[in-house]
Amino acid sequence: MTDDSFLTGRTTRRTVLAGGVSALGAGCLGGGGSDGSGGGSGSGGDDGAPPLADPPVGTNLATQPRLGPDPAEVRGVVVAFEDPSCPRCATFEEETVPKIRSELVDPGDAALVVRTVPLVYPWGEPAIQALEATYARDADAFWALFAHYFDEQDAFDTGNVLERTETFLTAETTVDGAAVVADAESKAYDDAVQTDLAAAEAADVSGTPTVFLFRDGEYRTRVTGSVSFELVRQSLGL
Amino acid sequence: MISLPTRVADWRLMGRTARLVLGGPVYALVAAVAAAVALTGFVLSQNLPFTGDVLAGRVPAAALLQLFPFVGISYGPLTGSVLILVSLLVGVDIALVAYHVREHRLSAEGGGGSIVGVLLGTLGAGCAACGSAILAGVLSLVGAAGLVTLLPLDGLEFALLALVALVLSIHWLADGMRGGEIRGCPVDLQK
Repeated sequence: MTDDSFLTGRTTRRTVLAGGVSALGAGCLGGGGSDGSGGGSGSGGDDGAPPLADPPVGTNLATQPRLGPDPAEVRGVVVAFEDPSCPRCATFEEETVPKIRSELVDPGDAALVVRTVPLVYPWGEPAIQALEATYARDADAFWALFAHYFDEQDAFDTGNVLERTETFLTAETTVDGAAVVADAESKAYDDAVQTDLAAAEAADVSGTPTVFLFRDGEYRTRVTGSVSFELVRQSLGL
Repeated sequence: MISLPTRVADWRLMGRTARLVLGGPVYALVAAVAAAVALTGFVLSQNLPFTGDVLAGRVPAAALLQLFPFVGISYGPLTGSVLILVSLLVGVDIALVAYHVREHRLSAEGGGGSIVGVLLGTLGAGCAACGSAILAGVLSLVGAAGLVTLLPLDGLEFALLALVALVLSIHWLADGMRGGEIRGCPVDLQK
C-alpha cells in the first residue's frame, strides 16, 4: 500500500497507453505483443508458445478472481484484462462471458480469470481499487460488483463511483460497503492493483478487453476487443 | 480553391463516374478486391498477434472470421456498418484512381485525396472498436490526453471523418475526369 493519490495510477495508465502508441501504424488496438506470444517472456518451447506459468500474464494467477477449476488442472484457461469503465468490456461481459461460463466453465473444461486494468475512463481507477478491496473480503461480492459496474456503466463517473459502490455492496452483498470504500480511498489493496498493472504493461496490453487463451497449460493466442464466444471456443479447440 | 460536393449535380457526377468505371468488369473486380482487402486490413490490423497465431497454426483460420463486423461481436451495428461503408468507398476510390491512372492523366489533387481517405479509413477503423484508449495515448503526446474520452461516439468520429475524406476524394477524382470519356461515354453530360 502507498499513500499516493490516484494520480499515481493515472501516470501508470498513461505509461501503459503509451506502450500502445507504437502499434498505431498497425491499427489502434491489439498491436502489442510484438513477438505474438503474449506471454512476454517468450521462454516457451520451440514454437514460441510460452507456458501458462510464465510471467507476465500468469503472474500470481492463483490469487486472481477466477471462475472454474484451478488453471493448473483444466484444459482451457481464459485470462481477461478488463476495465470496468470500458464499453467494449461491457459487451464482452454481456454477450461472451455468460457463454464461457455455461459452456466451458460449468462443465469443467475451462477456467476464466479476470485481471483489471484502468485504461479507458478515469472512474475505472477507484472502481478497481474497490474491486480489489471487495475481492479480499468475499469473491462472490467481487463478481457481483464487477457485473454491477458493467450493468450500470453509464451511471458512473469519478464523482460518484465510490458512493454508488458502497450503496450497492451494502444493499446487495454481505460485504461492509463503507469499509471497502475506505480501503479503496486509502488504496489499501494497491499491491494487488499494481500486480495487474505490471502484468498488463509487461504483456503490452494497450486496449481492453484483451483476452489471453491457454490450452493444456500452453499459450494459444491473445485477442483484443469484445471477442465472440465462438472465437474463444475455436481458439481453445474445446 | 478547394472544390466541395455542395450541389446535387456534384453527387450525380460522382455517381455517374463511379457507375461508368465499375461497369467495366476489370475495374469492378479491382473495387471488390480493394474493398475486401481494406476491410480485412482494418479488422486484422487490430489483432496482429492473433493473426500471427493463426498463421503459425496455433489457432484455426476459421476463427479469423469472428473478427469481422456482423460475424463476431467486435463491432456494434453502427460501427460495423460504417466500417463496411468505408471499405466499399475505399474500393470505389481505388478503382477510380486505377482508371484515372490508366486512362487519363491523374491530377495531384484527386490522388492526394485518395491517399488521405485510405489513411483516415485505417485510423478510423482502429479507433471505432474501443480505440479510445490508444487514441488517448496518442493524444497525450500532444497534451490532449483524455480528449478522446469526451467524444460522444468513442472514436467512431474518426471513421466518419474517413467517410468524408473518401467522399471528397471520389468527388475530386470525378471532377478531374470531367470532360473525358469512360468506356466511350462522356463523364459529364452537362458539359
